[in-house]
Amino acid sequence: MISNYAFRKFKNHFFFILCAVCVVLAVVPLLSILWEVIVRGAPQLSINFLISTNANGGIGPAIQGTLILIGLTSLIGIPIGILSGIYLAEFGNNHYAATMRSINDILTEFPSIVVGITAYGVIVIALIGSYSAIAGAIALSFILIPIVARTTEESLKLVPNSVREASLALGAHKWRTTLSVVLPSAKSGLITGTLLAVARISGETAPLIMTILGNRYFFQGLDQPMAALPLEIWRDSLQPYASAQAQGWGAALILILIVLSLNIAVRLASRGRFKK
Amino acid sequence: MSRIIDRGLEEQSVLLTRMGELTYETLSLSIHGYLDGRSVQAQVREMSDVLVAMAGKVEDRTFELIARFQPVASDLRAIKSYMKIGNDFARYGRYALDISSISDQLNGLSQCEPWTKQYLAEMSEKVLSTVKISIDSLRKHDIALAKTISPTEREVDGMYLEFLDRIINSEQSSSKCVASSILVSRYFERIADHAVYICESVVYVVTGEKVNLG
Amino acid sequence: MTTPQQKTVESDLKMQSIGLNAWFGQKQALKDINVDIKANTVTAIIGPSGCGKSTFIRCLNRMHELIPNAKMTGQILLDGENIFDKTVDPVMVRRRVGMVFQKPNPFPTMTIYDNVAAGLRLTGAKKGKNLDEVVKRSLEQATLWDEVKDDLKKPGTSISGGQQQRLCIARAIALQPEVILMDEPCSALDPIATAKIERLVVELKRDYTVVIVTHNMQQASRVSDYTAFMYLGSLIEFGSTKDIFESPKNQLTEKYITGEFG
Repeated sequence: MISNYAFRKFKNHFFFILCAVCVVLAVVPLLSILWEVIVRGAPQLSINFLISTNANGGIGPAIQGTLILIGLTSLIGIPIGILSGIYLAEFGNNHYAATMRSINDILTEFPSIVVGITAYGVIVIALIGSYSAIAGAIALSFILIPIVARTTEESLKLVPNSVREASLALGAHKWRTTLSVVLPSAKSGLITGTLLAVARISGETAPLIMTILGNRYFFQGLDQPMAALPLEIWRDSLQPYASAQAQGWGAALILILIVLSLNIAVRLASRGRFKK
Repeated sequence: MSRIIDRGLEEQSVLLTRMGELTYETLSLSIHGYLDGRSVQAQVREMSDVLVAMAGKVEDRTFELIARFQPVASDLRAIKSYMKIGNDFARYGRYALDISSISDQLNGLSQCEPWTKQYLAEMSEKVLSTVKISIDSLRKHDIALAKTISPTEREVDGMYLEFLDRIINSEQSSSKCVASSILVSRYFERIADHAVYICESVVYVVTGEKVNLG
Repeated sequence: MTTPQQKTVESDLKMQSIGLNAWFGQKQALKDINVDIKANTVTAIIGPSGCGKSTFIRCLNRMHELIPNAKMTGQILLDGENIFDKTVDPVMVRRRVGMVFQKPNPFPTMTIYDNVAAGLRLTGAKKGKNLDEVVKRSLEQATLWDEVKDDLKKPGTSISGGQQQRLCIARAIALQPEVILMDEPCSALDPIATAKIERLVVELKRDYTVVIVTHNMQQASRVSDYTAFMYLGSLIEFGSTKDIFESPKNQLTEKYITGEFG
């Protein structure tokens, strides 16, 4: 009896410790990367670094490019993603929607380099004829849309059916119910999901290599090549010069800060008066 | 906002108040008809039938209140007592009818000596006052008033026994008069008894105590 | 207590269910239901769980068809007009036949005020109406005004369960429907809140026709003028509440209301 109890107590402790160790194993690499980026990138930071072109020792074009990409991609991807999500959640009780749902799931896990190549073939070569900012935004939208659609569907499904019924029973139309009752109820989930998806695409590199190519100058038009932070980091890391590598560390730090601020924005946005 | 059951209780008590008024009218019509030698039997029968029907309605509602509203405590006491009082009122009506039919059948007081009429008139006043006490105490749920019934009722009892003695020993020549006056005095005594039951029910509704006021 | 017998004389038919059948997929949930619902009365639907009582009232405002694979046949007449008719818009039916649900379901993102005004806003019916007045009148009718008049800007979900349910009733009556359906409105509430809703139901029949589903027989007996007893999707007995609870004609009804089964 006693020994049995002692053994069970030991097992309990053992698994607790095992779990704790695994958490440490998972976090240590992340923290060390973060530490490395901060230590190496922070010395680079200066006003000049943020606003000058590469020729003048800055990564201004890359920051500008990334912000433009985030903006453009959101503009294209978020409405399409949210509307698809609404369709799947609210009207998706049929075979067509079921098919769309599984295709959507596959797209979510699609290798981003393949997306890049597709965009290269369809947009860069066939439609526009050159590497261009818009091609990059469209390629990133391909990645953004399935994620936004998925999170939208999930957060709409979390809205209790009783809320929908309440509205329908008042004699509201389905579209009005979805727009005025269901969407607001899912607001925090929608914002969180969407901003996390945007954070995810802002770090994508592979599709950009095939679409916007990179540029040493500030924005020159939607149909022209453009710089972006992930590309900057990638290119800098390939250079043999210490100064270029240092610039890459700085760019990495800026990218992390942009993603971090998006995350903080998520937290603030989802802390509404009517918390779910 | 009152309770749902309150409407039912209220309606029941309104019905009983109406019954009370009608019983008083019926009794005084019948008694005065007897004393004054008028035939009022047809009218009294009609009123008495209405009273019996009303008592039936009170009983129906009692069942409905119990079946639908799960009454407890004071509600339950009231519902139970209201049904009893409804029956007491119906009895009043029946005694009124008995008095006027006896009066018709045996020619009332016409063959009696004057003292008989005077005695019964005096007794009837006391009886009607017990009836009035019972109706008023019910309407106001006034237990103090209800308890005042005892002395008057005892007087009625005393008068009844005394009347029996006097009529047996008197030189009354008419057997019709003897029979009818004894029966009427007996009904008077019974009416006063029912007035007491009603007063006891009123005390029970208000306090939950089962008292004996007789 | 207005006895149904007296009522019948002056009241006319508000709704009528004629040969109503309903299915969930292959499973038949309602079999040939015939019920007459009189105006300005409370009609209670009782019966053991799964007898189809909720399905029945969800047919009365065409909420049943919102469930995937649900189907219904027969007729429901509202003021003599068949609401299953192809030309009838279910949305318009629901504006005339309001509904209160089992669990209080105020809109979580709206204030108390907005919840009551929601019906008018969502249906575009607010034109030419003074919203403040409608909200006040509806909350008063739902006997909630005194409790929330200083908190109209608070979330609809911040009040107690019983208050939320009365808020839902206020939301339904803000649209001034003709009929109010209630699907076990007290099953999630404590006895005090339940008593308040029951009193409210009795008050409401002055202006509306009420149909209430309840698994609580005593509740049905207290609030209703007419009672329908359903069992396994069929209507077993329908009559005045007094008759059903004092002298039911069907043995099943007798057994159910005396607690022998169910």
